[in-house]
Amino acid sequence: MDLSFDRLTKHYGGKIAVDRVSATLTPGVYGLLGANGAGKTTLMRMLCGILEPTSGEVFWDGKEVTGLGAAYRNVLGYLPQDFGCYPHYTAAEFLSYIAVLKGLPRDTVQRRIRELLDTVGLRGAAGKKLRTFSGGMKQRVGIAQALLNDPQVLILDEPTSGLDPKERVHLRNLLADYAGDRIVILSTHIVSDVEAIADEVLMMKAGSFILRGAVPELVRQAEGKVWELTVPAARARAWQARATVANFRHEGDRVVLRIISDERPGSQAVPCRPTMEDLYLYHFGEEA
Amino acid sequence: MELFRLEHKKLWRKTSVRISVLLCFAYVVIFGGVLSYQWFEFGSSHDVTSAFGNNFDGYAMIRSYQARADSYGAYLTDGALQRMVRDIQQDNDRGIYWQNADSRSTVSGYLSQLYPELEDADNAYPTLMEYYVDSARLTDFYGRRQAALEQFLHLQGQGTGEERAMLLAMNGKVDEPFRYGWVRGWQFVLGNSLADLGVIMALFLAVVLAPTFSGEWHSNTAPLLLTTDGGWRRLARVKVLSGLAFAIELFALLAAGGVAAQLVYLGTAGWDMPIQTMKLLAVAPMNMLQAEIYEYAFALLGAIGFTGVVMLLSALVKSNVLALLLSLAAAYGPMMIAQYLPYGLQSALGLLPLVGSGTDIFRTNTFHIFGKYIWSPYLLITVPVLIGLICIPFAVMKWSRRQRA
Repeated sequence: MDLSFDRLTKHYGGKIAVDRVSATLTPGVYGLLGANGAGKTTLMRMLCGILEPTSGEVFWDGKEVTGLGAAYRNVLGYLPQDFGCYPHYTAAEFLSYIAVLKGLPRDTVQRRIRELLDTVGLRGAAGKKLRTFSGGMKQRVGIAQALLNDPQVLILDEPTSGLDPKERVHLRNLLADYAGDRIVILSTHIVSDVEAIADEVLMMKAGSFILRGAVPELVRQAEGKVWELTVPAARARAWQARATVANFRHEGDRVVLRIISDERPGSQAVPCRPTMEDLYLYHFGEEA
Repeated sequence: MELFRLEHKKLWRKTSVRISVLLCFAYVVIFGGVLSYQWFEFGSSHDVTSAFGNNFDGYAMIRSYQARADSYGAYLTDGALQRMVRDIQQDNDRGIYWQNADSRSTVSGYLSQLYPELEDADNAYPTLMEYYVDSARLTDFYGRRQAALEQFLHLQGQGTGEERAMLLAMNGKVDEPFRYGWVRGWQFVLGNSLADLGVIMALFLAVVLAPTFSGEWHSNTAPLLLTTDGGWRRLARVKVLSGLAFAIELFALLAAGGVAAQLVYLGTAGWDMPIQTMKLLAVAPMNMLQAEIYEYAFALLGAIGFTGVVMLLSALVKSNVLALLLSLAAAYGPMMIAQYLPYGLQSALGLLPLVGSGTDIFRTNTFHIFGKYIWSPYLLITVPVLIGLICIPFAVMKWSRRQRA
């Protein structure tokens, strides 16, 4: 089972949103990381078959997905960014609607909906109208609908946005558990989410993959580029202006800065153990 | 079926839909029906400057109007007309106005059209012939009607050839003497209430159905729907069915309310009167009931046709506001510009859904197509629904194609 794409490209007029990206994804969790406008959503929409690429192709088990049509959509679960729903439906009605659209057998729909509402922690709110839901609750309904057909390919665009820390942890565990023999692709700005569950990270910048690999492997690339430097509070601002500062912590009248830099930023700077967030800032420091 | 049920439920769940239906019902059935019968239209009047000056006694007044009309016998003969005029004049002499006011307007119409030579230009109110004309001179009602009709056709440019023959042949099937009863109640139903039904429905159908497709972009659900198995085309079909079901339901609600109010206030009396008692020079061999059925069918088929047009417009754009404006323009635009266009174009615009009028059954308008004259109501009732049905596959196709935009 694999999902692959070959030189996938999308142009909007003269602007290149995704530029000849290729990859083969096998079961596991893939974290798509990148700043706003990096091309993550465009790539995901092309993978879902709802956006026509300017060039390139997407293959499911070696077959081009456009030709597969409904057969591909049957194995697909998608949570779009800024997930929209019908505010006058209850959560259960909304899921029934999507379930019918997904062609789920009628006799299993209600059971599946109950299971999923349980899974996302919304069983008690099944009969409440979606317009009364908070952003986080709506997002959880969105995740439930993506899982309705037990998809082999699950594509989640910013699934953790709007979720509180507890909900985020719950979702991360859910996805990690779900992945097993399925392909899960999630995009996010929240590096810690990717770090926690992604088997592999695809880092995008200006429409291209600039990094790809397992988290520890990628984090190693940031070794020797992360420093801790303690400076007087008065000089902290000056350091922020001239270097990428990942963290800023007061200790009495001094400030401990976590600096991302190829070179040792000062003689007092000491190297530290990098994290995924450091790597992200190394590549997107200016945009961040 | 399940998807249809859910889509239909989704439509009815919207607050805007419920408010729209409530307002439409209130306007058509409560305001335009019950209150009109009881107050504005048939309540006795002591203040002719405003319908709000009427008394709240329409039900009793209608009974008295009907009883009076029935007293002239079952048929409209010269003798009956003469008695009506005599009664009006006697009541007037006694200073009684309201009791004959209702039949007076009907009689006044008959006299001005059929006995114009009896008009006294020296009278202070020359057009109010019923107050001064010598009733004994009101003879040959049907001969005069035939002559007036032929004269009318001549003035309309329909006085010769196949068109004239067709219209006169229709007229020839009208039974004479006319069954007679209280006319103005039917005039209100057929000429006011039902005539406006389509115009009002257009507004509410546009408000409710314009977001059918465009709303999916507005609510940002389109990307989600696109990835479902049943997907785009199946959903589009269900949306269309749901929209059509809504149009029929709205119509049924209004029709049921309208008919119920009509039965309560007017009853069934006079259903078998020919429409000529209402419009003397109409040629259609129809009675009041048939005319009512036609006008309801006209509104229903027009609503179905309009639904198809709105669906297409909704599928063409991604903005709810634009879809609504285009839908309103599709109905009201032609109505607004028609008066500035040549007659032929005006007639053609009348074929658009809910733009034409169901009251054409009272007229002698025709369409000349491929050398044949066709009485306009035949086309006015069929073409709009065909236009709507033609729009539907395009709406489905357009919506389906959007998926990879």
